[in-house]
Amino acid sequence: MYLALKEIRHEKLRYSLIVAMIVMITYLIFILSGLATGLANENTQAIDSWHAKSIVLDRDANVNLSQSTITNEQVNGAQLTKSQALIGQSPVVVKQNNRKKESAQFVGLKGAQYIAKDLVISSGRKAQNNHELVADQQFKMDGYRLGNQVKFNSSSTQYTIVGFTKNAKLNVAPVVYGSLKTWQTLRNLPSGNLAGSAIVSKTAKFSGRDKGLKTYSNSYFISKLPGYSAQNTTFGFMIGFLMVISLVIIAVFLYILTIQALPMYAILRAQGIPAARLVRTILSQSLILMACGIVIGAILTAITAKLIPFGAPIFFNVPMLSAMAVGLLLMGIIGAAIPARKIATVDPVQVIGG
Amino acid sequence: MAVIELKNINKYFGSGTSKVHVLSDVNFTAERGQLILVVGPSGSGKSTFLTIAGGLQTPSSGNVIIEDQAVDQFSKKQRDELRLNHVGFVLQAYSLVPYLKVREQLELVTKVKPKGNLDDRELKELLNQLGIDDLVNKYPSQLSGGQTQRVAIARALYANPEIVLADEPTAALDSARVIVVGKLLKELAKTRNKAVVVVTHDARLTEFADMTYEIMDGKLYLKDLAPVDK
Ligand SMILES: Nc1ncnc2c1ncn2[C@@H]1O[C@H](COP(=O)(O)OP(=O)(O)OP(=O)(O)O)[C@@H](O)[C@H]1O
Ligand SMILES: [Mg+2]
Repeated sequence: MYLALKEIRHEKLRYSLIVAMIVMITYLIFILSGLATGLANENTQAIDSWHAKSIVLDRDANVNLSQSTITNEQVNGAQLTKSQALIGQSPVVVKQNNRKKESAQFVGLKGAQYIAKDLVISSGRKAQNNHELVADQQFKMDGYRLGNQVKFNSSSTQYTIVGFTKNAKLNVAPVVYGSLKTWQTLRNLPSGNLAGSAIVSKTAKFSGRDKGLKTYSNSYFISKLPGYSAQNTTFGFMIGFLMVISLVIIAVFLYILTIQALPMYAILRAQGIPAARLVRTILSQSLILMACGIVIGAILTAITAKLIPFGAPIFFNVPMLSAMAVGLLLMGIIGAAIPARKIATVDPVQVIGG
Repeated sequence: MAVIELKNINKYFGSGTSKVHVLSDVNFTAERGQLILVVGPSGSGKSTFLTIAGGLQTPSSGNVIIEDQAVDQFSKKQRDELRLNHVGFVLQAYSLVPYLKVREQLELVTKVKPKGNLDDRELKELLNQLGIDDLVNKYPSQLSGGQTQRVAIARALYANPEIVLADEPTAALDSARVIVVGKLLKELAKTRNKAVVVVTHDARLTEFADMTYEIMDGKLYLKDLAPVDK
């Protein structure tokens, strides 16, 4: 530690450059994982707020909520209890005369079922008829107010926003809760015999009791959300690669520095200073550099989190970021292994010559 | 009493046709209280001889006995321990850590070996004698060649080893300094009862030596050119 600190203090420029690089990598990793978590949340927030354990869909819908339709007979046959709710989902464009259009997910609910009953309203009240809506907080952020009249797609029917709710995002779009009747009109299903898109259940073992229906676990359903898995895999890869890059950077730099300093290590070995002590020196150097980089990177991330425009899908999951910090430290140790080996095996006589 | 004993030392480098025989059947003893000089032309094997005598490298054959211990049988770790606690090396080149001030070079010795070093008063006197007491806050890059060499000597002597092995310690020194270092090494041998072996081609040191050997063609001769007997 003595030597490690002295050398870093003496070679400030050199080591600041390495730290700067680690700072950038840490920052990138933190921001990317913030985005990954943020986007994942926006995919699933609404579903999470339903506390669903399983979801019943049309067997032929390829586990896709938008493609799934459930008939009135199927709903009757399924015998819903107070732990199940029928939903009708459809993507919509919300329009208000003088405001910008907003892409949203319409979710039709039945007032008597648990999702509508348990819906947490942050301002306003629940919808009481087919022309009232409860919208995600995002709309409020974008300037919509309670009592505003809105239209869906190209239809001329007016609906009134009577309440706002927090954390209602589905597939990265804000949710508008309305009635199943409205859903039917949105899907152009003239009072037909289609009841909704899916049955959401708070219990895991709920069966639709119909050959045409299939029950999926909530986690499987989420993994099949359009783009969800691909997105997570992409972020996972990027973060993984950044980890590897940080490993390579620290390894290469420490290696070069070690090679340059080899005569000095040889001198110390000649004086009888045990190899283990010198190996500890390089390991602690690596850890110090990594730790500095991570701390500065984390501070930058925190500043960014404060400055970032509201509504950007970024969410910092502290335990996960801590795990990544530990991962980076580990990369530091692995990165120091090769130079450490070099030091451990240096032959004083060869290097000193004479 | 002999603290270093080399018996029938041979050292080869390389193999096959490029094999060189650097030391052949070298016998040597050094006792406490002696300042011994080993001279020889460049490439004659002086450094090789010294590093073998200090347990820094192993001979191809023969025995190295330091303080009654068969060092040629030692593990790497044991040899580290021997050098740390019993042998002080003053090496020919690169002897200081570039990012430590002179004071810290000495501090490092204390870190690794907390006991048995010179006390503050003795250290002060040593630095004074070597004329480097006002250099303690300088980095090696701020020292001249001769100053570096004197700091390296101070560093080795600070650990208070029983055996001092010096490789060309006066190469960069002017005559006045050579006399200082010669006196210092001699005094070290006499008053502190250490075994001091110096390899050099600096003839100015011979007047301080108790004995002078010469290495020629891999063989070690007493200066009168008679082969050294056991
Ligand atoms: N590791 C090695 N591998 C191969 N040959 C070596 C090695 N070390 C030394 N030699 C050879 O052994 C011979 C003696 O080398 P040594 O360093 O002991 O000489 P020296 O007397 O100290 O020379 P100088 O006065 O120039 O320091 C030289 O010919 C050198 O080339
Ligand atoms: Mg030499």
